[in-house]
Amino acid sequence: MTEELAKTPPTRPESSLSTAGGSKALPPAQLAGRARKRRRIERGVVLGSQITIALLVVAGMFALNAAAGKLIMPKPTDVLNQSIKMWADGTMIKALGQSVTVIGLGFLLSASTGILFGILLGGFRFLGRVFDPFVNAMNSTPGAAFIPLIIVWFGLYTEAKVVVVWNAAMFPILINTAAGIANSNKDLTEMARAFGAKRLTLFWKVMVPDALPSILSGLRIGAAIATVGTVISELTMAQSGLGGLLAAAGNRFQMDKYFAVVIVLMALGTSITALLRFAEHRIARWRVSLREGS
Amino acid sequence: MDKTIQPLISLRNVGKSFKDGQVRALDNISFDVRPGEFISLVGPSGCGKTTLLRLINGLIGVDEGSVSVMGAPPVPGPDLAMVFQSARLLPWLTVVGNIEFVLSLRGLSRGERSQRALALLGAVGLRDFAGAYPHELSGGMQQRVGLARALAVEPKVLLMDEPFAALDAMTREVLRSELLQMWSRRRMAIVFVTHDIDEAILLSQRIVLLRPRPGRIDEIVDVDLPEPRWKHDPRTLPAFAEMRAHLWARIHDMVRDGAELEELAGAFPTDDGLEKSDL
Repeated sequence: MTEELAKTPPTRPESSLSTAGGSKALPPAQLAGRARKRRRIERGVVLGSQITIALLVVAGMFALNAAAGKLIMPKPTDVLNQSIKMWADGTMIKALGQSVTVIGLGFLLSASTGILFGILLGGFRFLGRVFDPFVNAMNSTPGAAFIPLIIVWFGLYTEAKVVVVWNAAMFPILINTAAGIANSNKDLTEMARAFGAKRLTLFWKVMVPDALPSILSGLRIGAAIATVGTVISELTMAQSGLGGLLAAAGNRFQMDKYFAVVIVLMALGTSITALLRFAEHRIARWRVSLREGS
Repeated sequence: MDKTIQPLISLRNVGKSFKDGQVRALDNISFDVRPGEFISLVGPSGCGKTTLLRLINGLIGVDEGSVSVMGAPPVPGPDLAMVFQSARLLPWLTVVGNIEFVLSLRGLSRGERSQRALALLGAVGLRDFAGAYPHELSGGMQQRVGLARALAVEPKVLLMDEPFAALDAMTREVLRSELLQMWSRRRMAIVFVTHDIDEAILLSQRIVLLRPRPGRIDEIVDVDLPEPRWKHDPRTLPAFAEMRAHLWARIHDMVRDGAELEELAGAFPTDDGLEKSDL
């Protein structure tokens, strides 16, 4: 078979590509060098623009501070000093620890229960149909609406905050998981059935992997909501963590302190998103390269 | 035409409807497939070719009549392997992983699986691509993997649903001759669905010509052309031209008899049971 192929190279488009324009085109090393150079320039331009924008923001803060005073906008240097002080005396680390605990526990609970129920509701069409309106109702209600109830049921402290996060972040994960499984590729399931796959194999080996990209995007939404939910619960329930620091600084109009906390929240949110993107690359490598390829 | 050989597949007065009986897909279909025979199902859109394959595979059941494969009602499994129009590879598995997947359905041990998968990839000339993901391959290469996957389970019957229809003409030509060579070596029965009359004559020993709406048998024709055909291209032979002319005449008759080949196509809402590729 292989010999047969070798005798008929023109019929294989993939092999004819490399030889087709060989005589006229530049040598590949030179072409690759050019492409590398172009990419380097592009990277430089992007990074340069980003630095410029960041500097403009800082300059704008200085200008606003000079024009309107430190209540409207703190001086960036004060924010930096305040940050150093808060990191040095441990308030920031303690608050960060409290917030990460709530986010982490809440997200883990949401992810495990959301994926589990999502698989059940997506895999069993009957269950999915029965529970659809309830899931939608819960998902459409803002998580903050349940905070008074959760306070009555669970109190004001960490466990109650975890429940707030869980309640807010579980439903998007559940809905994405269920939709991913319910809409799994019918061509692939028919293929597996034709080769004799039984229900359970079909489910775990075809439908769930096929739904993985959808599950992962649910997790990314869930993580973002978990961060928001954590800060809201820390602002409105027993003040603690980064949200608590925000409220304390804001109430006393200590805007430099307030900005120092906001910066930490930005960094936290960004790193959570980056972490999940990294996980997506590792778990659904085929999907990521599919997207980049097209 | 040896009547003493037990047929491998046998269809008797098969009828099938979809959409709660509103769409009649197949009507009174009867034919046999002998062991090792290469048979083509040919016909215009809407004649139920794909539905017939699904019935033989046991993916769906008949409404009337009976289908038997090796003397029993068909059950999807390793005796019947299907090659689809699009390769239908699992995108999250590598090429070799895709073949190992169907071998695991047969209950082979891990060692046997990878050994056989690699051997089959060698047979279709893709051994170097064992670790590649499907989307990294061209359409023709993906279809080769689909063929290797079907052959890996060592089926008694290979069911092929327009496997080359989506490929470019040159790749199609190569894959046809590869298929004929595989078949001459392994001699499993092949049921090959196509709407390409030349392809059907070129490949098969017998052609079942179907008429559309509802799908019925128009004629069953024996193809008597010298073997092996991948060595001697039969397209230059007068017998080939004659058969081609005959089959086209039958198709033109269908049109004259009022079979609407195109216009009705949009009138049927697609449904799981209906042939998406045909409509």
